[in-house]
Amino acid sequence: MFVRFSMIAAIALLASGCASNHPPTLGSKNTSYGDTKAVETITNEFSSTDLQIIAESMTRSLAQSGILRGRPVVQVYDVKNKTSEYIDTREITTTIKTQLMKSGTARFSSDNTDMQSQIDQIQLQNQSGLYKKATVSKIGNMIAAKYRLEGSISSIVKRSSEYKDVFYKFSLQLIDVESGLAEWMDEKEIRKTTEH
Amino acid sequence: MRFKLIAVVILALLAGCATTAASKVVALGKLRDIEIDAMRVARENGFITVNTQLSNTSSDNKTFYYRFAWLDPDGFPVAEEETWKSQMMYGEQTRYIQAIAPTPKAVDFRLEINTP
Repeated sequence: MFVRFSMIAAIALLASGCASNHPPTLGSKNTSYGDTKAVETITNEFSSTDLQIIAESMTRSLAQSGILRGRPVVQVYDVKNKTSEYIDTREITTTIKTQLMKSGTARFSSDNTDMQSQIDQIQLQNQSGLYKKATVSKIGNMIAAKYRLEGSISSIVKRSSEYKDVFYKFSLQLIDVESGLAEWMDEKEIRKTTEH
Repeated sequence: MRFKLIAVVILALLAGCATTAASKVVALGKLRDIEIDAMRVARENGFITVNTQLSNTSSDNKTFYYRFAWLDPDGFPVAEEETWKSQMMYGEQTRYIQAIAPTPKAVDFRLEINTP
């Protein structure tokens, strides 16, 4: 009787010790989520870390410069890609725009890429006759931008039998639309070296 | 454009509590060969800026990873995590790292550092 009881107790103890936490996942163990903020150096090309470093550095510098006092309206123009790589420079400015909007330091007017959607929508509202007059957005009330944000990224690539060195230089400037003067400018340099 | 530079020495507002540079550092693992010497905090145009002095105590080049975490008065982060930045220091070099807070709401910070 005692033996049977102790056997059951021993099995129960083993069973509870062997029980593992089954994670709520579905799929193979080869694929997993990683840290989006990790330093990525898989290859020498333009990486996610470069994009984040540039956007962060430019945003902080611009926000702190004091030029955006009073939350002026900024229009984001293109960042010219002067490198030989494919770089989605629009993503850099999108990140800068997002971070500035989240911190409440600036307001943005429609980009040159969004402008067509904006025009289409306003014209649709006013000219199609489909919308209630009281709810329609009136033509002629868009806020014009006070500043224009544009920049460029260039690279210098050097190769030898031992090294491949890539040097990026990103520069961004804030230009007053009326006067045409550049009121703020900053640049970020990044060097990545691969040893063969 | 004038800005007020208020140098805030790292002393807690609570009496009898000494805050050192070390209390602002969160090391991921043991810190090898990299020393944090001093930190200076200032508030420019509403955003806090931190200037950190680091030195490489070994004679070899060292690479380390760092980022700043910006906190509100309760010690909780005010913004999303920053990206990790990689920094190389030559042997016996002393270097300064500057950082600006992402939002005027940040009042405190932590330096997260990892020496591989």
